[in-house]
Amino acid sequence: METLHSVFVQPFIEIWQAPAFFVEVLIGGLMSGVMYSLVALGFVLIFKASGVFNFAQGIMVLFAALNFVGLLDLGVSIWLALPLTVLIMVALSFAVERLVLRPLVNQPHIILFMATIGIAFFLEGFGELLWGGDVRKLDVGIPQDVWFVGEVMIQQSDVVATAIAVVLVLVLALFFQVTRVGRALRAVADDHQAALTVGIPLQHIWIIVWSVAGFVALVAGIMWGARLGVQFSLSIVALKALPVLILGGFTSVPGAIVGGLIVGAGEKIAEIYWGPIVGGAIEEWFAYVLALVFLFFRPQGLFGERIIERV
Amino acid sequence: MFYREAGEFKTSYQADQAIFPHALDRGFVIAMVVFAVVVVPLIATDYWLGSILVPVLTLAIAAIGLNILTGYAGQLSLGTGGFMACGAYLAYKIATSFPELNLIIVFALAGLCAAAVGLVFGVPSLRIKGFYLAVTTLAAQFFLLWLFTRVPWFVNYSISGVPTAPPREVFGFLVTGAESAASTRYVFVVLVTIALALLAKNLVRSNTGRCWMAIRDMDIAAEIIGIRPLWSKLTAFAISSFYCGIAGALWAFCYINTVEPTAFDINRSFSVLFMIIIGGLGSVLGSFLGAAFIFLLPIFLNSLPGWFGVAISTELVSHIEFMVFGALIVFFLIVEPHGLARLWQIAKEKLRLWPFPY
Amino acid sequence: MVGMDATGDGILLESDGVSLSFGGVIALENVGFDVRRGEIRAIIGPNGAGKSSMLNVINGFYHPQSGTITYKGAARTQMRPHEAAVQGIARTFQNIALFRGMSTLDNIMTGRVHKIRSNFLLDALYLGRSRSEEMRNREFVEHVIDFLEIQSIRKVAVGRLPYGLQKRVELGRALAAEPDLLLLDEPMAGMNVEEKEDMCRFILDVNEEFGTTIALIEHDMGVVMDISDRVVVLDYGRKIADGTPDEVRRDQRVIDAYLGVVHG
Repeated sequence: METLHSVFVQPFIEIWQAPAFFVEVLIGGLMSGVMYSLVALGFVLIFKASGVFNFAQGIMVLFAALNFVGLLDLGVSIWLALPLTVLIMVALSFAVERLVLRPLVNQPHIILFMATIGIAFFLEGFGELLWGGDVRKLDVGIPQDVWFVGEVMIQQSDVVATAIAVVLVLVLALFFQVTRVGRALRAVADDHQAALTVGIPLQHIWIIVWSVAGFVALVAGIMWGARLGVQFSLSIVALKALPVLILGGFTSVPGAIVGGLIVGAGEKIAEIYWGPIVGGAIEEWFAYVLALVFLFFRPQGLFGERIIERV
Repeated sequence: MFYREAGEFKTSYQADQAIFPHALDRGFVIAMVVFAVVVVPLIATDYWLGSILVPVLTLAIAAIGLNILTGYAGQLSLGTGGFMACGAYLAYKIATSFPELNLIIVFALAGLCAAAVGLVFGVPSLRIKGFYLAVTTLAAQFFLLWLFTRVPWFVNYSISGVPTAPPREVFGFLVTGAESAASTRYVFVVLVTIALALLAKNLVRSNTGRCWMAIRDMDIAAEIIGIRPLWSKLTAFAISSFYCGIAGALWAFCYINTVEPTAFDINRSFSVLFMIIIGGLGSVLGSFLGAAFIFLLPIFLNSLPGWFGVAISTELVSHIEFMVFGALIVFFLIVEPHGLARLWQIAKEKLRLWPFPY
Repeated sequence: MVGMDATGDGILLESDGVSLSFGGVIALENVGFDVRRGEIRAIIGPNGAGKSSMLNVINGFYHPQSGTITYKGAARTQMRPHEAAVQGIARTFQNIALFRGMSTLDNIMTGRVHKIRSNFLLDALYLGRSRSEEMRNREFVEHVIDFLEIQSIRKVAVGRLPYGLQKRVELGRALAAEPDLLLLDEPMAGMNVEEKEDMCRFILDVNEEFGTTIALIEHDMGVVMDISDRVVVLDYGRKIADGTPDEVRRDQRVIDAYLGVVHG
């Protein structure tokens, strides 16, 4: 009886009694969600364009951030480090295309997925080989103060991150809808063979898309890194982008955003208000279980496409 | 010259269906089994028995489990660690709650509980496939591990949270606990492994196995010709989790001697997945080869610098390990998706013809 | 091999007013025809006419929005594919749907699946029913293999076989199910003349020796005229002709829609 009360009644009472705190938690969660969205964006890009589920996206976030921070620590100015890191990510996409994607071009998607798991592990080792495994502080001049709206405390860095994410999303959405390259990318996602037949240069497309995803990973890495410091656990956090994709749909840019927000807010609220009942650390699994439940009702995600299978 | 099939004609379907239809193979395997069970414990060192063979065999059981689910039935799972944890923690709970119960029964019950859990997390597979399913198995992984870490009931409210495995005997031999001899532990584990491998081999060659492979290859066609995907997928999840549960229990009781969560985290899940990719998807032999490979590679990499007289920090070695693993996964997927098992098969086929070229 | 059905008038399958649409796309509209026991019924028509959809409705993969399918005397419009298999309907597919990771023998063995009563426990121990059923089914499948003359590729993984042989293996899998009604979706597509002759021979043999009723979709008019007893013509999801091959060949609507005029 008491358990029922604490699960179904108590948390709502707490929310009611301290609304400002609830809003804070909510906003904090949403901001977290924006971070997840950034990582999920990279996934969506690659999946939309090549049908490949890039498990290594999370590690790419870490890898990009590591390179960036490493260069900064070596004394390179930020205005040089940024383009250099972008260059590194582009080089990475060339390598991935040549060494992994091209040899596996007609394999079933599950094989490509497992190959990206291999890439993830490789990058993890490689990144730490180059720059070491210590936590690095990342300071790019993002304001760290807080603002107050009424009683609610808002982190300035979170607002900056959101603004950047919004800009990034708009640019990407435009890119896919309007440009020739964007349309070609969508064709490729549907059918590799057919795209080849109509003369779309698959290799170029893949390199472009992985580079863009690499750039998105860099942005995500900088945002996350400024918040948490650049360290390995970033990639575990990035694993959470997977439930985000389930909620939003694997092929949808707006879906990645909305999904990220839902996951971020959901897990924070669950942790603060329901966590103490069961001993805390709900955040470890909440996002995944949420995705699991969601899959029952809407397997294609909020914005994803329904696939009709024909024989 | 040495490996001949000519002159071997099967006179009944029974003979053709046997697991090792060639007399030479049969003899070889029987000799291997006798060697493994009788000779090895007498000649191998405690280090080899307790720190190499026991964990490799245990991981092979987990690899067989994952192979059943992912290699044969085609349901990608990243929750192996979670199901192993089920087996370990439940075995602990059952063993401590019923101290008089035979250890084999304890493990069997723990395996059944793990199977039940696997069944529950397998239900989504009826509506979802591929990557989506992988994400739900992640839910199993994270949730189960959280459950066993946070709910003290499983570890009998022990203060440290990581209790030692209770010493237990099987037929008068002490097979768990600090006092047990490496050789007895080894013999116990190897016998369990052989039994489970045999059952698995029977399963995958039977109607059950064919249904799994049909679902893996083309599930719509499978349903149309009359296979029931519901039943097939759920049995795959249940049996796979049973194997993983037993492996987890053995890992805790006969190898590391404690019941701790870090042994069954997400890294374990990836590790076992790598074992079946490199060893060979859809192959019982491959599960063994992959387990040995993945387990021994870090040890090998660690010792390598020493052989060349170069000193390298363990941190550096671990980074190189990751790189080597990642590269090997990609390499095997490109060059030989059927893994080491297929390479072994090719070698045998070459042997059949040797010394003739074709 | 042929089981008895409930009706006495020799009709094995009857489609009545079947309509099927996907979203806004109409695949079948008010299609009605019957298939008599022991006959070879051809379903022809231009691409996109709904022929494959009709087969899918017959074996329960698609459920029509309206109309009924009567099989062996009982209405079975909401049948699931699994039930169809148990009821004696087997089929092949336009784009071969074999299990590429398995050998020829294993693929054909899967055709026996609805006859197997064993369970996974017995399978694991290879005892009792599991063993005896396996032997019995193996024997039957070997008959099918002999019939189709594919003994030499028994243990080869089907993914490695040439197209023509794959089609034959797929036929074998359907035959292994001992069907009363065999649905063939373009069984000769992509074959050369010799392969077509072989396939024709097999189809006729199956019909004559085992009495299996056959409904097949086919584009090769020569084949249709030679081997089928009666023909149904579909166009844009509607039935436009129904009769013997000769009747259909002379039907003006069919000529306009599909056949064209025979020259010379």
